[in-house]
Amino acid sequence: MKKFILIYLISHSLLIANEYAIVANKSIHEASLGQIKALFLKKSSYIKNKKVVPVNLSSRNPIRIHFEKHILHMSFNRLKSYWTKQHYLGHRPPISMKSQKSIKTFIKKVDGSIGYMELKNVDDELSILYKWSE
Amino acid sequence: MKYFIILILFITILFAEDTITNQEQSYQLGNGMQVGELPLYVGGYFSLDYRYKDGENRYRIDDIAFLAYGGYEKISYMAELEYKEFYTLSEKDDAYTTQKDTRLHTERLYGDYNFNENYMLRLGKFNSQIGFWNLLPINVLRDTSSNPYTTDIIFPRFTTGLYAAYNSYNNAEIQIDLTIQHNEDLDPSYNNYTMDEHHSLGTTYTQENISLKASIGMFDKYTSTNTTQVLYYALVSLKYETEKFQFMSELGSQKSTQEYTTPYAFFAQGVYHLNQEHAGIIRLESYEDKVQNTQDNIAIFGYTYRPLYPIAFKTEYQFHKLQNENQFLFSWSVLF
Repeated sequence: MKKFILIYLISHSLLIANEYAIVANKSIHEASLGQIKALFLKKSSYIKNKKVVPVNLSSRNPIRIHFEKHILHMSFNRLKSYWTKQHYLGHRPPISMKSQKSIKTFIKKVDGSIGYMELKNVDDELSILYKWSE
Repeated sequence: MKYFIILILFITILFAEDTITNQEQSYQLGNGMQVGELPLYVGGYFSLDYRYKDGENRYRIDDIAFLAYGGYEKISYMAELEYKEFYTLSEKDDAYTTQKDTRLHTERLYGDYNFNENYMLRLGKFNSQIGFWNLLPINVLRDTSSNPYTTDIIFPRFTTGLYAAYNSYNNAEIQIDLTIQHNEDLDPSYNNYTMDEHHSLGTTYTQENISLKASIGMFDKYTSTNTTQVLYYALVSLKYETEKFQFMSELGSQKSTQEYTTPYAFFAQGVYHLNQEHAGIIRLESYEDKVQNTQDNIAIFGYTYRPLYPIAFKTEYQFHKLQNENQFLFSWSVLF
């Protein structure tokens, strides 16, 4: 009986797991996770020869925290110290927006922009570069 | 130069209100501030320290520095001007001495051109891109008040010239860099070596939490007899970093055309973050310097308290094999 309950709970949690996507303006077709990480940490501002504008959600947004944990592999506190060090090196963090809706509108309009959101909010006017789930 | 800084500060205050438009863009300590809508960010840092060594108490306003940087399209720039050892008060056996250095030094002044994802070029005066410690050498950003000897005796800490780098960001990050100096230092009084030539080649490999780096180079050092001495160096570095723990180690050697001037200089440092504010540090060092004819082994135990990351209160005690070098250090530093 316990076994069935466990199987039910696992399958149920998989069914309701949130899915996320790293999305970009249609001018960008592909990027590796290493490139995406470098862009959001401002180690690079390009994918090949194309200038890229990374966009974050606001700092305490749960989707951003999820993105930072699973894609950048860094906690909120470690990123705070990272950006303090980057200030000394002359690098600024990516711009932030308050909602997924704002990011979606921005990415559709701005050439070379890249961001992340829940998969359910992605439409055909965005390029999906990477997908992951909780 | 002083008027330049006053002007920047004045502009900062003038435009400060414009930048505080929402929570994300408001001023945060340690992150600098944008001047209006201009491609100009300003900030700075300072450090004060105390040292007790061999019966002497030393109180010092060490660094007062100003930063200005920004970028547009493929070009970016950085300027850092600094008062170094601005005011020093020493006391030994009730005898007091004071020293002042009110000259504003040019610590960094460079422009970058980013060609694409892989290639960039830098021109000006910059921290020599050797090892890991020398990339973030200021008090507030390092883990201890003191610097390891390795970072002071093997290679020139600053270079005035050209820096080119190739970067690749895939499963692992790879960087290959080249430094060329064939001219006088922009501020010769502010470097650990006086020189007019420096060449170096380095490579860095980063995979998740581990980074490895190797650099080789040569430079032309001015000697006290107004001649020059060609010195060659090599440095290998390792860094491992997790949320709680950081380990860094560097091993270097330096030689002239005739003999090893520094046969070896080594340090290994572990930092354990008890939580966001408190960290314990242990560093072991060993070096042999044939120019000064010294050999020393050092064990350093430190503790750092950061109420906020850009504010650091640090204490450390150094045990030296050369016993009159044993010392206690305390510092307070802030990045703004």
